[in-house]
Amino acid sequence: MIAFVSGGARSGKSAYGEALVRRWQQRDGARYYLATASADDGEMAARIARHRVERGSGWVTLEAPLALDTALAEVDAGSVVLLDCLTLWASRVLFGSSLDQAEATALLARTLAKARARDIDLVVVSNDLNEGMPPEDELSWRYLALLQAAHRQLAAEADVVIQVIAGLPQVWKGSLP
Amino acid sequence: MQLVIGGACAGKRELVRGWYPQARWHLLGAADAMLPASGERLVVSGWADWIEAAVERGAEDDDALRLALAERLDALLAAEAKRAAQVVLIVAEMGRGIVPMGAARRRLRDLNGWLAQDAAVRCERVWYVRHGLHRRLDTREMPIG
Repeated sequence: MIAFVSGGARSGKSAYGEALVRRWQQRDGARYYLATASADDGEMAARIARHRVERGSGWVTLEAPLALDTALAEVDAGSVVLLDCLTLWASRVLFGSSLDQAEATALLARTLAKARARDIDLVVVSNDLNEGMPPEDELSWRYLALLQAAHRQLAAEADVVIQVIAGLPQVWKGSLP
Repeated sequence: MQLVIGGACAGKRELVRGWYPQARWHLLGAADAMLPASGERLVVSGWADWIEAAVERGAEDDDALRLALAERLDALLAAEAKRAAQVVLIVAEMGRGIVPMGAARRRLRDLNGWLAQDAAVRCERVWYVRHGLHRRLDTREMPIG
């Protein structure tokens, strides 16, 4: 199963994503956390630490800022994987790689296909950024276009699409797991 | 008349193209006719660009601009009925972020929001597009007053 969970800042999307992973976790399966953030500065380090405390123990963390597909190869079949948050991955693509939008969405497609093929349940968490004022500069437009291409791709491919508002999951596709 | 609303790059145009591959697309303010011909399926977009250009010209006040937009909606609705045409409006959602710093951007955001409201009350069906998925909005409850 693939779930796409998104919402605004501090909407409770990460907590919902984590709860979903716990629900999908099989008795002898592991749960993995596919980290997209890296502690480049003090604020980021603090945010990562806060999320780690909130997740609690029992997670295997994989550092995969860019190559999500290769990271999934390290995961045992039948596991559950939380990818949080896709906006940071999109930042890595745009500012820290030479991938263009087509290559990035192809990488994401390979990741989803690999999850399906290896019976890995995948929960992808992301931030909705496209319903405020449209950007004024070209770089922000490129970022938004990339992120939205990824979001549309995920929504199309996922079995479950959830919008989290104030901690409340709203179903856009599939049914509440 | 139908209204399709959604954020930037949410998939609004793709959705409408999939529904009506033969439709004519009119960008508001462009040289081709804004109103549909007899029996024509017409998609009207470019509202925010039209508003932005009007705000940049700086001539009119907000009420006058809102009225000018509403008159276009009324004209589309009337032409649709009279000519057995079908009109789809595409409007961007841009009201869910922080208040913009610039006065012109705040006006654009206000006018675009009013446009969406004014369009929704005139439309038989209203759709919300989010990450390529769409749902029909409940239009049974008309605004109070």
